[in-house]
Amino acid sequence: MSSNNKKSPYVTFQGSQNFRLRVVLSTLSGKPIKIEKIRSADLNPGLKDYEISFLRLIESVTNGSQIEISYTGTTVIYRPGIIVGGSHTHNCPSSKPVGYFVEPLLYLAPFSKKKFSIVLRGITSSHNDAGVEAIKWGLLPILEKFGVRECALHTLKRGSPPLGGGEVHLVVDTLIAQPITIHELERPMISAIKGVAYSTRVSPSLVNRMIDGAKKVLRNVGCEVNITADVWRGENSGKSPGWGITLIGETKKGWCYFAESIGDSGVIPEDVGEMVAYHLLEEIESSGVIGRTQLPLAITFMVIGKEDIGRLRISKNEIDERFIILLRDIKKIFGTEVLLREINDGSNHDDDYIVTVKGNGFTNANKKIA
Amino acid sequence: MEQSNKAHRKTKEKNTAKKKLHTQGHNAKAFAVSAPGKMARQMQRSSDVNERKLHVPMVDRTPDDDPPPVVVAVVGPPGTGKSTLIKSLIRRLTKTTLTDINGPITVVSGKHRRLTFIECPADDLNSMVDVAKIADLVLLLMDGNFGFEMETMEFLNIAQTHGMPRVLGVTTHLDLFKSQSTLRTSKKRLKHRFWTEVYQGAKLFYLSGVINGRYPDREILNLSRFISVMKFRPLKWRNEHPYMLADRITDLTHPEKINREGKQIDRKVALYGYLHGTALPSIPGTKVHIAGVGDFPISQVEKLPDPCPTPGYQQKLDDYEREKMKEEGSTATVTRKRRQRLDDKDKLIYAPMSDVGGILMDKDAVYINVGKRNEDQSFVPGQEKGEGEKLVTNLQSVDKSIAENFEGVGIQLFSNGTELHSVEPEDNIEDEEQEEGGDKGRESMRNPRVYGKSVQEADDDVDLDAIPSDDEQNYEDVEPEMVKVDFGKQHSNRGNASAETDSEFELSDNDEDGWEAAAAGKLNANKTKRRRKWDIGKLIYMNNIEPVDCIKRWNGEEEEDEEESDIENDKSDFFTKKAGTTDNEKESFNDLEKFVSYFEKMEKLVEKWKSFDSINDRFLGASMRSRGNDTGDDSNEDEVFGDFEDLEDESNDADKRESKQDEDDEANQSDDSFADFDEEEKKDMTMDEERELNAAKKEKYRKQFEIEEGENFKEDDPDNEYDTWYELQKAKMAKQLEINKTELDDMTAEQRQKIEGYKAGSYVRIVFDDIPMEFIENFDPRFPIIMGGLLPTELKFGIVKGRLRRHRWHKKILKTNDPLVVSLGWRRFQTLPIYTTTDSRTRTKMLKYTPEHTFCNASFYGPLCSPNTPFCGVQIVANSDTGGGFRIAATGVVEELDVDTEIVKKLKLIGYPYKIFKNTAFIKDMFSSAMEVARFEGAQIKTVSGIRGEIKRALSKPEGHFRATFEDKILMSDTVILRSWYPVRIKRFYNPVTSLLLEKKTEWKGVRLTGKIRADLNIETPSNPDSAYSKVERVERHFNGLKIPKAIQRDLPFKSQIHQMKPQKKKTYMAKRAVVMGGEEKKARAFMQKVLTISRAKDEKRKSKKADQRKERLKRLAKTEEAKLSKDKEKKQEYFAKNGRKRSSNVEDSRSSKRR
Repeated sequence: MSSNNKKSPYVTFQGSQNFRLRVVLSTLSGKPIKIEKIRSADLNPGLKDYEISFLRLIESVTNGSQIEISYTGTTVIYRPGIIVGGSHTHNCPSSKPVGYFVEPLLYLAPFSKKKFSIVLRGITSSHNDAGVEAIKWGLLPILEKFGVRECALHTLKRGSPPLGGGEVHLVVDTLIAQPITIHELERPMISAIKGVAYSTRVSPSLVNRMIDGAKKVLRNVGCEVNITADVWRGENSGKSPGWGITLIGETKKGWCYFAESIGDSGVIPEDVGEMVAYHLLEEIESSGVIGRTQLPLAITFMVIGKEDIGRLRISKNEIDERFIILLRDIKKIFGTEVLLREINDGSNHDDDYIVTVKGNGFTNANKKIA
Repeated sequence: MEQSNKAHRKTKEKNTAKKKLHTQGHNAKAFAVSAPGKMARQMQRSSDVNERKLHVPMVDRTPDDDPPPVVVAVVGPPGTGKSTLIKSLIRRLTKTTLTDINGPITVVSGKHRRLTFIECPADDLNSMVDVAKIADLVLLLMDGNFGFEMETMEFLNIAQTHGMPRVLGVTTHLDLFKSQSTLRTSKKRLKHRFWTEVYQGAKLFYLSGVINGRYPDREILNLSRFISVMKFRPLKWRNEHPYMLADRITDLTHPEKINREGKQIDRKVALYGYLHGTALPSIPGTKVHIAGVGDFPISQVEKLPDPCPTPGYQQKLDDYEREKMKEEGSTATVTRKRRQRLDDKDKLIYAPMSDVGGILMDKDAVYINVGKRNEDQSFVPGQEKGEGEKLVTNLQSVDKSIAENFEGVGIQLFSNGTELHSVEPEDNIEDEEQEEGGDKGRESMRNPRVYGKSVQEADDDVDLDAIPSDDEQNYEDVEPEMVKVDFGKQHSNRGNASAETDSEFELSDNDEDGWEAAAAGKLNANKTKRRRKWDIGKLIYMNNIEPVDCIKRWNGEEEEDEEESDIENDKSDFFTKKAGTTDNEKESFNDLEKFVSYFEKMEKLVEKWKSFDSINDRFLGASMRSRGNDTGDDSNEDEVFGDFEDLEDESNDADKRESKQDEDDEANQSDDSFADFDEEEKKDMTMDEERELNAAKKEKYRKQFEIEEGENFKEDDPDNEYDTWYELQKAKMAKQLEINKTELDDMTAEQRQKIEGYKAGSYVRIVFDDIPMEFIENFDPRFPIIMGGLLPTELKFGIVKGRLRRHRWHKKILKTNDPLVVSLGWRRFQTLPIYTTTDSRTRTKMLKYTPEHTFCNASFYGPLCSPNTPFCGVQIVANSDTGGGFRIAATGVVEELDVDTEIVKKLKLIGYPYKIFKNTAFIKDMFSSAMEVARFEGAQIKTVSGIRGEIKRALSKPEGHFRATFEDKILMSDTVILRSWYPVRIKRFYNPVTSLLLEKKTEWKGVRLTGKIRADLNIETPSNPDSAYSKVERVERHFNGLKIPKAIQRDLPFKSQIHQMKPQKKKTYMAKRAVVMGGEEKKARAFMQKVLTISRAKDEKRKSKKADQRKERLKRLAKTEEAKLSKDKEKKQEYFAKNGRKRSSNVEDSRSSKRR
């Protein structure tokens, strides 16, 4: 209840975690935030280069936002402006892939004044952040469920770490007033497993070996498994060799589950394929309607929905630390609480929960009429 | 003799219905449409009418059960009988006679409807604006003798911009018409005028004279019936914002504090009222706007028991309790008869600011009117008839004075320690209450939970001045001390015990130490008796527990004793937390920055996913497959289809098979893979069982099909049950509302409060901490106090761009940067708009003035408000400054929000050539330095005659001169123009109209208009002589003829050859002859000439004389005309002085004399 102290006009956070989400939520809500003690105990205190780069990106897609970074970089004050969008090009630092920057933009893009068309250059895949395929096949469908129909992420060039050289183009053409209120009370059934295995500047056989590895695991799963080989050659394939695989469990309702990973040098492609396949199974098992990585996006969109009640089924496994942190941050900025209700409908997923959220009546005031 | 027979008459052809169809060779039956044109027109017309009925589908967020009272605003010019109308209506609805109308009056008008009447102060534009924003129904009063007056028109226009509430016209003073015919015509005229203003067919009521200080009962009855059945459409703005019309205010500032620090300190003020619109969020610190005061964060909201409940709602409560009693096995059920009409007892009235119901709330005192409203004796100690009365008797018996009580309460509100000591008396009270409840069945059940009261609610205890002032609504018997607490428990009784104990725990995250101690103490006390089962919903929002711990506790991974110690440590946890949170980066999986979620190690995964049993039901194909395997058949898709067919068969010919079941079974299903299995089952089943099984199976397949087909069976389906898009939307909304309702009903009261907030219809007390003292000091109940909730966007400030048009009845056009009071959203504020237009969408150009009859754009600084919100602007709100004209200066709608804009104005730089070469010229006087020229190098320039050119380079010698080239040679007399665009900055000026803080609320004066300042300071309006229009005088220019040198002429191509005729050499016929006049002829000519000269001179003379005469005549005419006009004016003045003085101070006198 930090909003209680009337002295500070900011919602104050501490620590470096959830940095992007906090900035995004602040931009959506219009409330200025102050983030203190960012890696203050660290040997290398303050904001990292990619975080600064992210703030620059936010500054370029908004109008009138003010960012104050303290001398040491451990405190940031962010006063959000109006989301404007438009066409921009952003060069991502080599420390983070483009997914790191695209992910938060997905929260903002549907609520801007102009359409989003942003070209991001840099690394396109990594171990810890969202890869291009994960966003394209894992997060954009979630947006679509909330009414953002025309959004796309085009991979113009792939760039594997460490040197990168990739280029992606994020286009969000749908500007909505507010997200659709969703009601998803049943676990959707997976109709097919799709996947993309890609490689840049390495032998195409690696890709096929990954596919084989994944297919070996998924052979008995009981539905169609379709993994595409995507081999990039020439100047569009970036500066470094690399390879990876993304698997998506698709449902007919539009929800999806995914898992992804990339290969390092000295790793057997079959193992990567297998691992990702197992991860996908794990993800399917531990997810309700949506996966863990999709949860922040979905919950945020539910919170900023109409003043109606939306419902989403999640599994017990999904209630983890990250979920709690997410909800706490949302509460701090929007003041909205969600209600978790146990399901006792006698189905074989009795430990599922229904997340009940009343939207806070947010509307996209940035958009011009007529 | 021949027999005379009647001539044979042919049988007349009867025109039967059948024949009629065949007329003139046309068979009507043969053609479906006899008049296609007519039919087309008819269809068009009917669909037109239908379309016009449609509105944009909008969700109505007013709750169905117990909606807030309908706000009925009575508006009209002074002296039209507003108070009389309210009194009459109140009298009609509640049988109460009001002497004085102050503030809103809430009455029960029907089983499910309450009305809140407010009288809009006639002489205050600010109040009119506020009232227009919240009124559901407007009773627009007008004097039948005068028709529409300025105030009426202004109000209608304000209302229109703020989402037009329902308007009922009420015409009064109709008894002053002497003749029936004039009455009739003027009624008709009024009605038609009203229709053009509101809508065709709008209802206009006619009230004749006043009898006994009221309007005739029959007419009022009609009006009240009309009001009570009226339906309302949701209005967009009100459907998105919570708002409240305060019907009571109290100053909660500690008197001691005022004494100590002087009365200038900001006050703590509580506003009471019914919430309207959407639910008010229960997040502390939510900012709201109080119209005429400003934006303030809510420091506390509390739901109070309804002081004026509808009988319908009460009945529902009763039913609910009866149900509960039945469940508990109690037999004492008192069934109340359902009535068709309102009981006298139910006709409640609640008007804390007026003296009604015996209680008059003044600023600092409560007066209780011991009237004789009911026949039997009231205010007898021990036999009180309601809480109000009891209160009075209590007060009589209590030895403390009100002031003392008040003080005690104030202390309780301020210090934290008192919460604890208030707990004890409270328990006592409720004990006592329970004992008393024995004889009055119902009351005791209403407050079933005594100990469940949470600390939070104890905190919210209401002080003495929160006593409900109505004496009839609350039947609970309460002891004297009860006064303090009886609000809190009303909403505590729904929460369940376990939830509340949790909430106590939750309080420990509050920032105050006192809380900390209290909650911890409580926990220790509770610890032993409670088996702790952690609720994840609560754990999530306990900020003092680390997320990791949350999960651990929830999963019960911690040992019991550890857990307990943990709880004890919570307090210290809380204090040390701040240091701890910063080092959280270590647990990287707790950070949402990391996208990839946590997975087990590979080996474990391999082990785990040996088989897919755990997720088999998540795959569409797999579930079928596994079932197929169960039956021992080969698993392919065909088999499923086989099932399908089989099922159809079975259900269709169920009875057919009844007779020859056995053979059929053999025959039908021999090739079916399902056969044996089915048959086995069927052996020992009856017909019904079998049918049931089949139905279940069919349902299952249908579901399966639906799942596989995805969303196809849902709304996007073109052949759903709804014919039109409109119906579909309506149905969707209804469904969502239904979901909301059921979901919210399922929650506990506490959860519901948190998630939903305070819903519309609840009576709340809202406390604000720092309200300027003038609000209290200059409080006048005549002026409505309106609190409007603000959305997040509306808290931000920026540039609002809108489309705006000067109101056509406003006399003057508006000047850019002249202050304008804008009413946008809940707010009224003065700002400096810049009027703009777009040059074919390339730039936004400033306009000095608004255009006469069209829209222009306006940009101003102020609080943002989402696009499509309409607004209106006035120039002056102070009554003393208005000159009787129409005050609404402009209306418009917000189009776009931004933080800054680019507005430009045109700046023409002028220069003159001083040296001209071929196409090059040196230009002077445009710039004053070479640097300026450098800025404009390459800029387009143009001469007045239209020769285009470009600035090339600054000249070194005379500073500021430059070289320019043109497309043609220019003249020395040409003027060279450089058209440039100069950015205009919007002045960040925002001045909220704080009219409620003034002592004279109608006299708010903001920044003066430019014209007013000039007038006050005696400054002449600056005028640039260049801008003045003058007659253009052009000297006729003579050009020499074009002469082409011979040499050139010779070289020209044939086509361009100049063809010139040679001069004629021969003399013409006439030229050759000379005419010589003879003597006689010559004389005649000379004579004629003389005669003509004389006659011409005569004519001239006559003409000039006539012109003089005419001039004289015109002069005379003008004189008489002037005399006539002045006489007329005098007459008019005299007449209106006698008959038309409505607003003089002696209104009453003049009216009474009129009536005679």
